[in-house]
Amino acid sequence: MTDEHTPVTEADLHAFVDGRLDDDRRRRVELFLKDHPQEAAEVQQWQAQAKDLKAAFSSYARFGENDRTLLNSKTQPATLASFRRGAGLLAASLLLFLSGAAAGIYADRFYAGSPPVETASALESLPGQSKTAFLVYASEKRHPVEVGADEEAHLVAWLGKRLDYKLVAPDLRSQGFSLVGGRLVPVNGRAGAMLMYQDAAGQRLTVLLGKNPENGETSFRFESSGSVETFYWIDGEIGYAVTGEVTRAKLQAIAEECYRQFES
Amino acid sequence: MPHAPDEGSRVRGASPPNAETFENQVLSLVPSLRRYSRSLAKSDSDGEDLLQDCVEKVLVRRGQWRGINLRAWAFTIMTNLYRDRHRRLIQHPSVELDDTLGLTAEDVSGDPLEKTRLQQALNALTPDYRAVLMLVVVEGYAYQDVADMLSIPIGTVMSRLSRARRQMAAHLAEDNIVTLRRPK
Repeated sequence: MTDEHTPVTEADLHAFVDGRLDDDRRRRVELFLKDHPQEAAEVQQWQAQAKDLKAAFSSYARFGENDRTLLNSKTQPATLASFRRGAGLLAASLLLFLSGAAAGIYADRFYAGSPPVETASALESLPGQSKTAFLVYASEKRHPVEVGADEEAHLVAWLGKRLDYKLVAPDLRSQGFSLVGGRLVPVNGRAGAMLMYQDAAGQRLTVLLGKNPENGETSFRFESSGSVETFYWIDGEIGYAVTGEVTRAKLQAIAEECYRQFES
Repeated sequence: MPHAPDEGSRVRGASPPNAETFENQVLSLVPSLRRYSRSLAKSDSDGEDLLQDCVEKVLVRRGQWRGINLRAWAFTIMTNLYRDRHRRLIQHPSVELDDTLGLTAEDVSGDPLEKTRLQQALNALTPDYRAVLMLVVVEGYAYQDVADMLSIPIGTVMSRLSRARRQMAAHLAEDNIVTLRRPK
């Protein structure tokens, strides 16, 4: 009879996450979750998801400068009265439109202050660009780098200048890799840097640095493609990616070493 | 001498005699419509397109509005537009690069790669699942309201919500993250 004997359903779990249960039922679900770690973990995921989704879109709930122009429908309402009103609005819209036209279309104006649209794809492609650089240059016998390790000071000064960043070439000897050199490469359509390392067996790996369109700090990500592993992360203005044909554990240790040595 | 307001005199920002005109009501809904459109769309510009189409349709169909809950009515229209667009895209899949665009806006705090991942997980959902998830989670509608808005049984709302949540979780759980360590 009591609430305690009514089984907790999946619908209850969703309603719990969405704050749609009355107090009794909510307590019942809380008790249930204490004894059911699997469901509790799932509910926790859903709660985290909900929080992230709200955070991701809440800032869009705002007026744009030119929202009134949204009312300037191109199509005409059916009735005569609304037709006349529509015509009036159309005239108004024309004025508004003319005043706005010089600055470009509506959407462009609205987002004029926002970061460039390629942001996510640029972030997305960092590991891809790193992998390509690795595949192209690590296998190169005669000219894997533009400036060799024998000119390290010049190399870091030159690439650092192009990146507008105080570049250091990480010392990876503790990991068994020594610097081969580096080159200027395009990253996200801008000047970026690639450093190359090699171990005693001639196994190579590359470290790619590119300007990051969006300031931020991320965790490490990794991406595998066949036997090629890439670790990448963003720290402040720079995106980093380390690519090599070594085990993931080994590459992670190297990436962590790079992370420690690079200035943020 | 009171007379019906001349439609022509309302042109151009001059304060309308009745602040609650249909247009003004629609206008007041724009922020929440913008949020919903962006949460359905793959990019900022897609979101703005969807918003624009929705407002246009709401104005054209004003005669069909029953006079209650304009927001829910507009959300229904937007959901349908979104599904139609998606269907068209599947039939004419020319717009393949539309995976771009992060969740930028003003939310500069979080981890940018994490935001990209969230967007990818969303893009992997079917439109039906995505719409239910957004109406419940982001727009805060009760399950029954969502059922009414989409003309589906509440059981269907629950199963779509459940699948959307599980698919998102599976997508986001992909184990490719390592926490950074830099002793300072």
